[in-house]
Amino acid sequence: MSNQNGSGSDRKFKVVGTRPIRHDGLDKVTGRANYGADLALPGMLQGAILRSPHAHARIKKLDVSKALAMPGVKAIVTSADFPEIGSGGMAAGESHIDPKDLQANIMARGKVLYHGHAVAAVAASTIEQAREACKMITVDYEVLKPVMTLAQALAKDAPILHEGRKAVGVPPLPEGDTNIMMRLANAKGDVDAAFKGADVVVEGWYEASMAHQGYIEPHATVVTTRENGQAEIWCSTQGPFAVKSMVAVTLQMDPNLIRVTPSEIGGGFGGKTTIYLEPVAVLLSRKARRPVKMVMSREEVFRATGPTSGTRIWAKLGVKKDGSFVAADTRMEFEAGGFAGSPMGAASMTLYAAYNIPNFRFEGLDIVVNRPKVAAYRAPGAPNAAYALETAIDELAQKLAIDPIDLRLKNAVKEGDVASYGPKYDRIGFIECLQAAKNHPQYKAPLGKNQGRGVGAGFWFNVGLQSSATVSINDDGSAVVRTGNPDIGGSRASMAITVAEELGIPVERVRPLVGDTDTVGYCDLTGGSRVTYATGMAVIEASKNVIEHLRARAATIWGCEVDAVEWRDGQAVGTNGASNNKPLSLADIAKQMAHTGGPIIASASVNPPAAGPGFGVHLCDIEVDPETGRSTVLRYLVVQDAGKAVHPSYVEGQFQGGAAQGIGWALWEEYLFDKDGKMENPGFLDYRMPVASDLPMIDTVVVEVPNPLHPYGVRGVGETPIVPPLATVGNAVSRAIGVRMHQLPMTPPRVLDAIETKKG
Amino acid sequence: MAKVVFTGGLRTLVGAESIELEAARVVDLVAALYARYPALEGKLEGATVAIDGTLHHDARYQRLLPTSEVHFLAPIAGG
Amino acid sequence: MESVRYEAPNNVEAAVRLLAGENGAKVLSGGTDLIVQMRLMNRVPTVFVDVKRIPRLSALALDAKGLRSGAAVPAATLYGNETIRKLWPGLAEATDLIGSSQIQGRATWAGNLCNASPAADSVPALIACGATVVIAGPKGERRVPVEQVNVGPGKTSLAPGEFIVEFEIPAPAAHSSDAYQRLIPRSEMDIAVVGAAVALTLDAGGVVKAARVVLGAVAPTAILVPDAAAALVGSKCEDAALERAGQAATAAAKPIDDRRGTVAYRKKIAAVLTRRVAKIAYDRARAR
Ligand SMILES: Cc1cc2nc3c(=O)[nH]c(=O)nc-3n(C[C@H](O)[C@H](O)[C@H](O)COP(=O)(O)OP(=O)(O)OC[C@H]3O[C@@H](n4cnc5c(N)ncnc54)[C@H](O)[C@@H]3O)c2cc1C
Repeated sequence: MSNQNGSGSDRKFKVVGTRPIRHDGLDKVTGRANYGADLALPGMLQGAILRSPHAHARIKKLDVSKALAMPGVKAIVTSADFPEIGSGGMAAGESHIDPKDLQANIMARGKVLYHGHAVAAVAASTIEQAREACKMITVDYEVLKPVMTLAQALAKDAPILHEGRKAVGVPPLPEGDTNIMMRLANAKGDVDAAFKGADVVVEGWYEASMAHQGYIEPHATVVTTRENGQAEIWCSTQGPFAVKSMVAVTLQMDPNLIRVTPSEIGGGFGGKTTIYLEPVAVLLSRKARRPVKMVMSREEVFRATGPTSGTRIWAKLGVKKDGSFVAADTRMEFEAGGFAGSPMGAASMTLYAAYNIPNFRFEGLDIVVNRPKVAAYRAPGAPNAAYALETAIDELAQKLAIDPIDLRLKNAVKEGDVASYGPKYDRIGFIECLQAAKNHPQYKAPLGKNQGRGVGAGFWFNVGLQSSATVSINDDGSAVVRTGNPDIGGSRASMAITVAEELGIPVERVRPLVGDTDTVGYCDLTGGSRVTYATGMAVIEASKNVIEHLRARAATIWGCEVDAVEWRDGQAVGTNGASNNKPLSLADIAKQMAHTGGPIIASASVNPPAAGPGFGVHLCDIEVDPETGRSTVLRYLVVQDAGKAVHPSYVEGQFQGGAAQGIGWALWEEYLFDKDGKMENPGFLDYRMPVASDLPMIDTVVVEVPNPLHPYGVRGVGETPIVPPLATVGNAVSRAIGVRMHQLPMTPPRVLDAIETKKG
Repeated sequence: MAKVVFTGGLRTLVGAESIELEAARVVDLVAALYARYPALEGKLEGATVAIDGTLHHDARYQRLLPTSEVHFLAPIAGG
Repeated sequence: MESVRYEAPNNVEAAVRLLAGENGAKVLSGGTDLIVQMRLMNRVPTVFVDVKRIPRLSALALDAKGLRSGAAVPAATLYGNETIRKLWPGLAEATDLIGSSQIQGRATWAGNLCNASPAADSVPALIACGATVVIAGPKGERRVPVEQVNVGPGKTSLAPGEFIVEFEIPAPAAHSSDAYQRLIPRSEMDIAVVGAAVALTLDAGGVVKAARVVLGAVAPTAILVPDAAAALVGSKCEDAALERAGQAATAAAKPIDDRRGTVAYRKKIAAVLTRRVAKIAYDRARAR
């Protein structure tokens, strides 16, 4: 693991850039940390959900009377218990969710749209009683033909998931009933003419399977309600404030009545930016007048929670002999699952974002199918888009006999270039990443027989959004920092490092806490790679406000004007007129807090712009067994611009984690459905995410091209790492076997097929 | 005058790649756009607004310079 | 609500009585299949008969005649035994493939066999080595070759009240060895798409005198492939012989299409693994 400095910000850091042990580490490795399912309240009931055995059906009749009479059963909820709501947009993770759809995804209304769709829920004294009661609920279904693939959804006589719903977006739009929920399109220049002038053109379809985030902790919640309408929710989420607003909208409740406390979170990756259980548990608790706990099984997580979209993308890319891109054209089809809202919008904006392409066009379709409704997953949409484009680039590199990194360098965007999505780039580090990859020893390592090396690149926006932070000082000179962002990637450590840096105290003297919606100021959810950037900014501001207090207290102690006190290297130093005084450390001032005006505490809030693009370049060396088609990843490198790595270990961890997930998506993970639309592999045995032994140690290079929007130069780093791997791995496999593969995952049978087809 | 650049669906609605408008703040710019292009009404709410390359999630009261270039983009978030 | 009992007898007769006593009784060895299935598929027995407290089932004896291993000896103990690894390297590597370290501390050959999954890893290797099981039941004890225990997916030939007490594996003849490989897309924690075990005995000149070739995951049970064995006998496992053995394996394989593999792919891989595993077994036997 190495570090590469771009032209750095000249600030000399003391704590930023070090690798202290994470504050939450001990509890996590000793099993003390409390996750969503760990809370128990007196009198608590257990909730279970009855799920649809059909992928597509109309609910004709639903009778819960027998179930209600079962032993231990205290309450049953169906869609009839949810208020009717109108349509309208609301933000949730990457995609904009229609509240009506959000509600219908949580509890089917009228129609079930995927196998595993919730149709009723039971609260009983024990989980076994709740499950038994679910079996006694009778549902009369009119079974409809399931629409499982994009091709089936687009077929002329396709069954329609949402009758009467019109496509929206950029015309031309399909007339009448359709499974296309949205069409996006954009163009620049004269694409057709430009292709005619190209020396080499490649074109093809690139397919990727739906993929699950695979967080280790299944969704879980405990809810208690009060007679005055209040609801207290504990749950595993990336955004307690988001849960609050989503529960409010799905239940048409006054948000003021809702308090959400995030538990420790066992992974989210975007999948916990939306809700499934919480409103159901609120309704059950209201009816039963008891606390209710609901925990999903792994099988439920697979059948009924959001993966990211499977896609079919047709892409065409033209170049001049010298390697300069002249034109690109793309058609993207995204599976949205049972309800509208795939990450096709972000995909279309990221698709061409890494390169200067003078003429381009794209069309994107958001298509409903009878599969679970997709949810955000790390850089939603971007990996699918990059898979198509970065594979096409690799094909061009081979045809032109140009080094694939050189081909990218020739076309890579840099500061001042106009991004494909419109505006001009500020300081960005794509070129630096490409060069670092090219100079890395892995790029020169010799390849053996049946081995191939893949290169791929990726782009992600990295958002800003709203954050608050509070920093308080204890009388022993230690500090507490509180935010509302669940820590999914080591952000507690980053927040503590930030306070330590600003106040000049050891990082171990800072205790970072994640609060609930009533105890901390508003924070948008932990997602979009935003926490270290945006919440970190709020922490910097809050720390600076604390320093103002510290200066004032020092002035009180010294009996001088505040202006005569400076904060330097973690202590109050007297200047003009006060310079005889011995500097006061934070501990000195804290000791005197009571005498100088009471506790010291300060908050700050921010709503900064997007953090600025994060670019990454990956290298993958793979060996393919030519007789079985089985791939072994030999070496893997992630190079990415982090702006400034606040805690380098967690930056590297994000790089490695994103790469691991992307490699899994590229080689092994896929949703398998039987002919009736029932998922056949709803568990980690057959939904094959990589285990430790499947991967080599993933090497990382942290490039640091400071982000001008952040005081330390921080960029978001959590999402970009999953953008390049699909193509990087695919390119490595294709080069290893000498045949271009166009479909993910590249499972042994598919690869063997390709090898044998080549042999003829 | 601030320059507004349109892409995709917005360009179709406006019928131009870019226009120039007098506006001190984004909120004024949006009002002026709605007035000039009724078809745009409501379509710019919640957009991510790029002002001279910086992407604002909420730009309502952001000031514009006479030389500013503005793009209205789909809202971006993440996972 | 059903209630489940747990019994842990300390002798074979008591276990037989418990098992014969009720239909819903189930032998519990490591529980790495049983407990998982109980949770996942709601298959709850009326009584678990834990056999790990019966001394005979945890005993391990190695002598000139071979190995006698109690049915409840866990995988980790078996492949951790240096003599077993030396005499039956293929069986040891198959045993070492089961699950992870955590699973291997519990999982047993008997459980692997009686769970009757066509993809069980130790089963082809046990068959290749000519292993026999000693079965206790209401009518006393009987000895049966391992290949006769499974009759289909999830089905064994054990009668009600019967259970496996121990495994007997004859000491390998001079110039003998074995090997096992499976194909899985990942590197571990996965279920064999195809498994192949080969045990060979050579003459002093390196010519194969006797061979047993067994495939897993390509039929309702692990299958012996006599044609593949015949292709190897009389050869020195040259490419041509290996090729013929592979073809015989493909011909014998009667797999199904499922989420783990297709018919066509499994048939091809049966040949690939048969060739590779035979070669490894041959090289090992030569080195003896
Ligand atoms: C995470 C995981 C990974 C796994 N990986 C693999 C793998 O890679 N390869 C593989 O082959 N298997 C694998 N398995 C399956 C399992 O671990 C093996 O089949 C194991 O050998 C079963 O042994 P056990 O002692 O745990 O059996 P148990 O679960 O105790 O029993 C299994 C069955 O055999 C019966 N039984 C047990 N002992 C006897 C006996 N003495 N006489 C008669 N019947 C008996 C039981 O009643 C039950 O029906 C895996 C399981 C898990 C959970």
